[in-house]
Amino acid sequence: MVKKVNTQEFQNEAMKAPVAVADFSATWCGPCRMLAPVLEEISEKYEGKVAFYAVDVDESPELAMQYRVNSVPCLVLLKNGEFVDQSIGFRPAPQLTAWIDGNL
Amino acid sequence: MERYDIAIIGTGPAGVSAALTAKNRNKSILLLGSRQMSEKVAKAHEIRNYPGLPFVKGEDLAAAFRDQLDRMEIPVMESRIGAVYAMGDYFALQAGEEMLEAKTVILATGVVMAKTLPGEEELLGRGVSYCATCDAPLYRGRRAAVIGYSPREEAEAAFLAGVCSKVTYFPMYAENTDLPETVEVIREKPEGILKAETGLRVKTAAGEYPADGVFVLREAVAPGQLVPGLETDGPHVKVNRRMETNLPGVFACGDLVGTPYQYVKAAGEGNIAAISAAAYIDKKAKE
Repeated sequence: MVKKVNTQEFQNEAMKAPVAVADFSATWCGPCRMLAPVLEEISEKYEGKVAFYAVDVDESPELAMQYRVNSVPCLVLLKNGEFVDQSIGFRPAPQLTAWIDGNL
Repeated sequence: MERYDIAIIGTGPAGVSAALTAKNRNKSILLLGSRQMSEKVAKAHEIRNYPGLPFVKGEDLAAAFRDQLDRMEIPVMESRIGAVYAMGDYFALQAGEEMLEAKTVILATGVVMAKTLPGEEELLGRGVSYCATCDAPLYRGRRAAVIGYSPREEAEAAFLAGVCSKVTYFPMYAENTDLPETVEVIREKPEGILKAETGLRVKTAAGEYPADGVFVLREAVAPGQLVPGLETDGPHVKVNRRMETNLPGVFACGDLVGTPYQYVKAAGEGNIAAISAAAYIDKKAKE
């Protein structure tokens, strides 16, 4: 499951998860809408291992600034609250899982 | 919404040949391109090595393609495809505001020889963007530079002017610009995009122009940009003998996959791509 969070929830949950993937996206962005269902499906495979969050860059501009999100969608991978890597734009599921696995 | 068996992008010899073969295999087809077929074909003076059509003029070959499609009852949908997304068990094709769906995709777009600017690919998504209307809100109140390759891109610069604190426009064409007064037009050729202390800089022979976002807007879309995740080799898409790309369900043929840029080679590859796509669909159906 991909949980939609605000800034506060992001800090309380994503920052404290052992491994978290945050999907920075926006309602006006076409590729974001296409990525969301792909990520939802991927998140099922990682249940209990990786926590998935969705961040709306318009609602949480400070988080977008903090992680230097200059283009959406942008996936940010965190380990214990530390930034590890980012993935920009839409990517097919096998490439996303390879990206996550490579960072575990 | 109808989910087509095969979406074919391009109406040159590769795309037309793929469509004819797919129709023969009883697949539902979405053929995307132009009723004028291919500009490259239509402009060819005379083609001497297309079997069965000796010394055919390009415009006559295009007319013959159109006639054959009509007789096989294959319509051409004149939509420009902005992106193709691999959704897992199907593909979503963005045609303007509309999303089309297909089980497989055959790319037959021809080859685009657009060279990218130094720094452009490295900084893509890190300040460089190809879509102003997509990413503009991220640059609200900040500085944007637009490198526009055709007057059509001025609309995107005008849109940015309403959102950004400053917009610098670099026209890559000779025509006069028609832009809001707040947009600064620089008639210098960008030589590259550099990373700066904060944001980016557009470098020209005469100087450097700072911007937080640099929008590079070209008519032609590179294949890796059209289909995110697609493996390419320069301007070409990587395929095997079956015209399969690295993405299962996506096939490519014609000039797009490499030289020689010959009409008859493109037509042959279109045929292979359609047969491979049909086989892929049949195999999936059995699973």
